[in-house]
Amino acid sequence: MTPQYYFDHAASAPRRDEVVAAMEPWLRGVVGNPSGSHRAAREARRAVEEARDEVAEFVGAKPGGVIFTAGGTESCHLAIAGVTHHHRRTHDASAIVISRTEHNAVLDAAEMMARDFENVTVRFVDVDAEGVLDLESLRQALDVDVAIVSVMAANNETGICQPLDGVSALAHAVPNGVLTHTDAVAGAPWLYLPMATSTIDMISICAHKIGGPVNSGALILRSDIALDAMVPGGGQERGRRGGTVDVAACVGLAAAARITAKELAETNDRVIDFHHRLCAALSFLPGCEITAPSASKVPGTVHVTFEGIVSDELLFLLDQEGVCASAASSCSSGAGQSSHVLAAMGMALERSRGSLRLSMGPETTLEEVDALIGILSSVVYRLATEA
Amino acid sequence: MSGGVDSSVAAGLLLEAGHEVVGATLKLWGGASDSGCCSVADVDDARRVAQTLGVDHHVFNYTEEFERHVVDPFIRAHAAGQSPNPCIECNRHIKFDLLFERAERLGFDAVATGHHAKVLSRDGSHYLVRGADDQKDQSYVLGYLREDQLATLLLPIGDMNKSDVRVHAERLGLRTWDKPDSQDVCFIEASKGREVFLRQRIELTTAKIVDRATGEVIGETDAAELMTVGQRRGVLPGRNGEKRYVAKVDISGGRIEVGRLDDVLITAIHLDETSLSFAHEPIKDGSVVLAQWSAHGVSKPATLRFTTRWWLELHAPARPVAAGQSVVFYRVDEPTIVEGAAIVSPS
Repeated sequence: MTPQYYFDHAASAPRRDEVVAAMEPWLRGVVGNPSGSHRAAREARRAVEEARDEVAEFVGAKPGGVIFTAGGTESCHLAIAGVTHHHRRTHDASAIVISRTEHNAVLDAAEMMARDFENVTVRFVDVDAEGVLDLESLRQALDVDVAIVSVMAANNETGICQPLDGVSALAHAVPNGVLTHTDAVAGAPWLYLPMATSTIDMISICAHKIGGPVNSGALILRSDIALDAMVPGGGQERGRRGGTVDVAACVGLAAAARITAKELAETNDRVIDFHHRLCAALSFLPGCEITAPSASKVPGTVHVTFEGIVSDELLFLLDQEGVCASAASSCSSGAGQSSHVLAAMGMALERSRGSLRLSMGPETTLEEVDALIGILSSVVYRLATEA
Repeated sequence: MSGGVDSSVAAGLLLEAGHEVVGATLKLWGGASDSGCCSVADVDDARRVAQTLGVDHHVFNYTEEFERHVVDPFIRAHAAGQSPNPCIECNRHIKFDLLFERAERLGFDAVATGHHAKVLSRDGSHYLVRGADDQKDQSYVLGYLREDQLATLLLPIGDMNKSDVRVHAERLGLRTWDKPDSQDVCFIEASKGREVFLRQRIELTTAKIVDRATGEVIGETDAAELMTVGQRRGVLPGRNGEKRYVAKVDISGGRIEVGRLDDVLITAIHLDETSLSFAHEPIKDGSVVLAQWSAHGVSKPATLRFTTRWWLELHAPARPVAAGQSVVFYRVDEPTIVEGAAIVSPS
């Protein structure tokens, strides 16, 4: 077996030992239902509320605003659909404003609402060639009919960061204000969320991008926001998300958030060097172009394209050499597919077909980065020669 | 690996024969299909079979190429009153062209598929041969393969009957062992059919249905593009109950000609020269071949001729053949061996 080089942290980050240790007691034997009243239930409830405190601290919000969910997709869905449902019942028209480069968790929730309700529409906001939101286009999309505006903190495919303060300034300038949401799933491993999202009303995060378990996340509300539960049954999470609260999942998210926050500055410092090292090396490879070279990006994600090479082939040969990487855009069958993110940036289909996302995390080492550069060079030269 | 039982067993048998195997599923169609969006259920089956066998599995995206080489021409041909075989086009342009090229680039020695056909290796040459199962033989849809492709092609189930394939699948513990055979065009939903597919993409033409012998208008169709030369279904019988067949589809003239069998029989099939393909040496003008022009048809003797263009002189009259169909040539002396293929052009 060849050694494994994991460069797909943005798909799922390695589970941290501390997370597993924190979750372990809540995965075996008696685990009380946190909604109950006896001692086992109280013990479970205490673990959930401690986790809630930590998650609130991670984003700089109040614990009462934390709604535990089964991950980033559900969190985004709850924000978009929950707010829009509530809005459309009390308004003649409800518009959802989103950027064209949002994750499908947001895109599909918005499009589902517009499909199912006549008085709901979706307005898309353009990005520039560097993938950065066009604030003028956003300003034009905002008016008193808008129920919610959602712009991601950092893009999952490219790592490009969005001007969230600009988004909230424009949203607040609308008479009576417009609610803002940010999908901070891809940003959470890198951004100091209490500052980066301080002006945003709702923040979605998930555990498995920061070393926690999958199927665990949270939607955090900065204030008392009216939204409909998508799964009302049971009334848990203050009636905003029914279903027995998963103690282990909450504890896992909290542990992952705690470690991430603690190591945030040091991880950023280290990985930004890797980012620059990778970009410098890749820029010498034939046909390679760094995506959005001047945009502000999270350090962990390096997105490039190779002219004349198809991602499917590049990824196959990298996999043979033990490199786990991704083209960052795939359909439900698992096949790579053309990226709506790159299309929104105006990238030609021919170029986006040669996409490669290399994503790193706290575990990434200099040795791995150098090994990756060596393997990638040989693979790219091989394909460039064959073609 | 399509997610069907044939390619599943093909992979398993290669593995048992000691090959190093990597499974590949081609994502060809991005729209709705009988197996869900992007055929996701079939991809899941293929992936699970690969897992069961313990081999790596990759999904390759060829949706744009499929659209360009198979779906668009399929629609254009119908708009022109022709009836192409999309499976043949997919084999020609995707599976045995782009995938072969990719396999070579990625360092593979051979490509294997689960087609019911065989590759015969003799005196340094390779020949495509009919599969052992008469009912399932797929040499027709592989008729365009050339020596260089046949040399690196493995067809592990070509010697088997379908029932044997299923026995092997069960023995290997593959979840596809009892999966029904797919019959239809993969990008057309069985519940909706060709008509719905075409109506969503082109405007279908209204045409008069005319009896060729009498000139009498016997009916009308609101979808002339769906009429196929040679078909009997959907055509009113003659007054005395005699069956009538479609002889000609003229979309621009809004006219479908039909006739009794005697009125429509043909003795020549014109071939599109650019499509003419031979496994080895080109067949010479005047050579006798066994010609087959439908997937489950019978091959019939004919002489390949070149006058101003290539055509087949049929030794016995036959029902008319739609332009766009492929004719595959088998050898007269060894009737299971494929010699070449060509697309039927309008006469």
